[in-house]
Amino acid sequence: MTDATLETAAEVSAASRKWAIYGGRLLLAAAIILAWEYEARTLGPLFFAPPLDVLERIGTLAMSGQMLTDIAATMRVSAAGFAIAALCGVLLPFLLRRSLRATEAIEPYIMASMGIPKYALAPWLILWFGIGDLPKLIVVTLVVFYILYITTFAGIRGVDQRLINMARVIGASERVIAREIIWTSLLPFFFTGLKIAFPRAVSATIVGEFLVSTEGVGRSIEHARQISDTTGVFAGVVIAIALVLTINGIVNLVERWALRWRPVERDMQI
Amino acid sequence: MTATGLAATLLEVRQLGKRFAQRQGRDRGRNEGREPSPWVIQDLSFSVRAGEFLTIVGPSGAGKSTLLNIIAQTDTASAGEIVFDGTTISSRDPRALKPGIDRRIGYVTQDDNLLPWRSTLDNVLFALEVQGRLNDETRAHAETLIRTVGLAGFEHYYPHELSGGMRKRTSLIRTLVYDPPVILMDEPFAAVDAQTRTQLQADLLTLWELGRKTIIFVTHDITEAIALGDRALVLSKQPTRIAAEHMIPIPRPRNVKDLFALQGFAAVYERIRADVQ
Amino acid sequence: MISPAIRSSAIATALFRWRTLLDRVLVLVLIVALWQGGSMWFGAYWLSSPWATTTRFVEQILNGELLRHAGYTLAEASAGALIGGLPAVLLPFWLRRHPIVVAILDPFMIGGYGAPKLAFAPLFLLWFGVGMESKIALTASVVFFIVYFATLAGVRTLDPRLVQMAQIAGASERQIARHIVMPAAVPNIFAGFRIAVPYAIGAAVIAELISSNRGLGYLVQTGAMNFDTTSVFAAIVAATLLVHAANLLMNTLEALLMRWRPPLQSMMET
Repeated sequence: MTDATLETAAEVSAASRKWAIYGGRLLLAAAIILAWEYEARTLGPLFFAPPLDVLERIGTLAMSGQMLTDIAATMRVSAAGFAIAALCGVLLPFLLRRSLRATEAIEPYIMASMGIPKYALAPWLILWFGIGDLPKLIVVTLVVFYILYITTFAGIRGVDQRLINMARVIGASERVIAREIIWTSLLPFFFTGLKIAFPRAVSATIVGEFLVSTEGVGRSIEHARQISDTTGVFAGVVIAIALVLTINGIVNLVERWALRWRPVERDMQI
Repeated sequence: MTATGLAATLLEVRQLGKRFAQRQGRDRGRNEGREPSPWVIQDLSFSVRAGEFLTIVGPSGAGKSTLLNIIAQTDTASAGEIVFDGTTISSRDPRALKPGIDRRIGYVTQDDNLLPWRSTLDNVLFALEVQGRLNDETRAHAETLIRTVGLAGFEHYYPHELSGGMRKRTSLIRTLVYDPPVILMDEPFAAVDAQTRTQLQADLLTLWELGRKTIIFVTHDITEAIALGDRALVLSKQPTRIAAEHMIPIPRPRNVKDLFALQGFAAVYERIRADVQ
Repeated sequence: MISPAIRSSAIATALFRWRTLLDRVLVLVLIVALWQGGSMWFGAYWLSSPWATTTRFVEQILNGELLRHAGYTLAEASAGALIGGLPAVLLPFWLRRHPIVVAILDPFMIGGYGAPKLAFAPLFLLWFGVGMESKIALTASVVFFIVYFATLAGVRTLDPRLVQMAQIAGASERQIARHIVMPAAVPNIFAGFRIAVPYAIGAAVIAELISSNRGLGYLVQTGAMNFDTTSVFAAIVAATLLVHAANLLMNTLEALLMRWRPPLQSMMET
């Protein structure tokens, strides 16, 4: 066998490999749905709602506008929590950067407080603020805050110290250094952090709604569970996952659009 | 006078040829005609006798390492064949390759390739472990080798705690310890400073004198080739083939630290240098 | 500020450390003072108080109640980490020689990783009831995806030259898997568990918050329902300590197991 023959053989198998992968995925997806249907039949409607019923319920929810109301409520709290957390989580590292002394003094407490399960604060927050948007908002803000704080801090620390020293030698003020060098070096980290944080904000809100049941996607799921409405639970979970994955996708698209105009930006993978 | 005498031919390379399948840049997934590269190695032939220390000199480039890879069976041959101990070992088919030919060909690569999670001693014992030959005797042999190359006391250090030269030595003895009949070496001392290199060369010769294995040693350094080898082959530029062959009549044991005092060194050096141009 | 008259840098470092320690103690005192002040202003119902929380915490440890419930939470998290973690480690190893299967699974795994597992909590509660099983199931699902991708990364970034070296030395496929692939992947597997274990504890607590009859989350929920803020805080403190203990354990294990690693680690790990 000559090399040419071996090479064409390799090419052919590369193409058939692609078909095998796509085919395999389709088969797997079909198998999952079939298994789902099977479980619904054998284990009964209490544990597994049949796929068709779930689809039907989703349709009903969409038509009646209930789905939209839920999503709007969830997104409202997510967006607000994200905004506040973004502000604090990004600003705080910059402020702390000014004083090494302050950073050293406070950091252990921030790290220690990170271990607090934020959702566990929800019942206490309900005592304070009653059942409404505020407990959810606070929990979501806390969850997202830590993510952004850590990423921003890591980004600041990752900035090349030599550039900063060079700028100091030239005589640039701290504010100029923060703006020119740190902010620009930070930009890729920053966007990656935001990219991760926003979908997390949405899922955090949904979980918060399990605990503070007023309205929203999470509330629908939990409510359905409490009245043993399995179809409702399934439908709600599907909607929740679809929501988070859609947000994920949108954020990715926005990032790609933003990066298109700035080819120099490197995409940092955290 | 060479030291090999008239030993049997152990390894024979016959009209070896090698070229690579080349991918055309952008359309990687498509089945556009992929042109094979020009011949990297073409019509390369030589033979090696048992117990011989053969050095191969040539400029740095794809040819030398590729040749060793094909002999060690980590790469295919595109043309010609390699016969080892009477059997054809080379192959066109990547799936038929048997790296190391059942442990009969050892390979000391340019990068030391030590397992970073094993200590020096454990790295040396690795091959023995894998081959199921680890016992008191072989372990003692390993420890002797460690002492011989001057690594006594560093048995339990991790690779990242060792200097480049020390890692090289470990890499060397971990192949020597399981006694393969043929050992390939790919510029093993290239990345090391000049002083350490001379010491490593001396250590290598000391160890080789003990067992008289067959060694094929590739280098771009003519001095090294002459200092170590019984015979030196000079490779041409691509398409690589054997350009010249030189016997090295310098008697053993050799003092590599004072090469130019060796009888006949300068003459051989001049001849080889002329051929490398 | 350190007087310029002090020349020895050793003394300067020591002084710096002492000052940092002092600062941190000051911050702690400040936090406690604020807490106490707030408690006196708003009332113990709203904020409990440093003293009350501490005494209750100690009391509940001594009477065993806190330890018992912490034990439940820990058991749920550990069982989940094992049940989720083991397959997650084994799968990439089994599939190492079948990249097609890995490719087929990829979108499903990414989807599973991106979907908020905590959103499944009501579903698990529906299926497994209010006891420990539902928490274990949730924890397992959280841990699985994290560890799967971490292990996959470890197996993929294996240096092929090490494999080749082992082959030349005569190693069989199994020996290569055991002596080369496994040790090379261990750092990544470990990094995965380091992230996943604290997550697991958090997930267990959240599931307990939603619906449970035991565990630290249950304590928080009952405390809130009885308007007993002190209980709530004691339980939250316990949960936080648990998370930190888990972190400490993982860090110690890493230091022990990873002695062979070269000291310079990239910032982007974990």
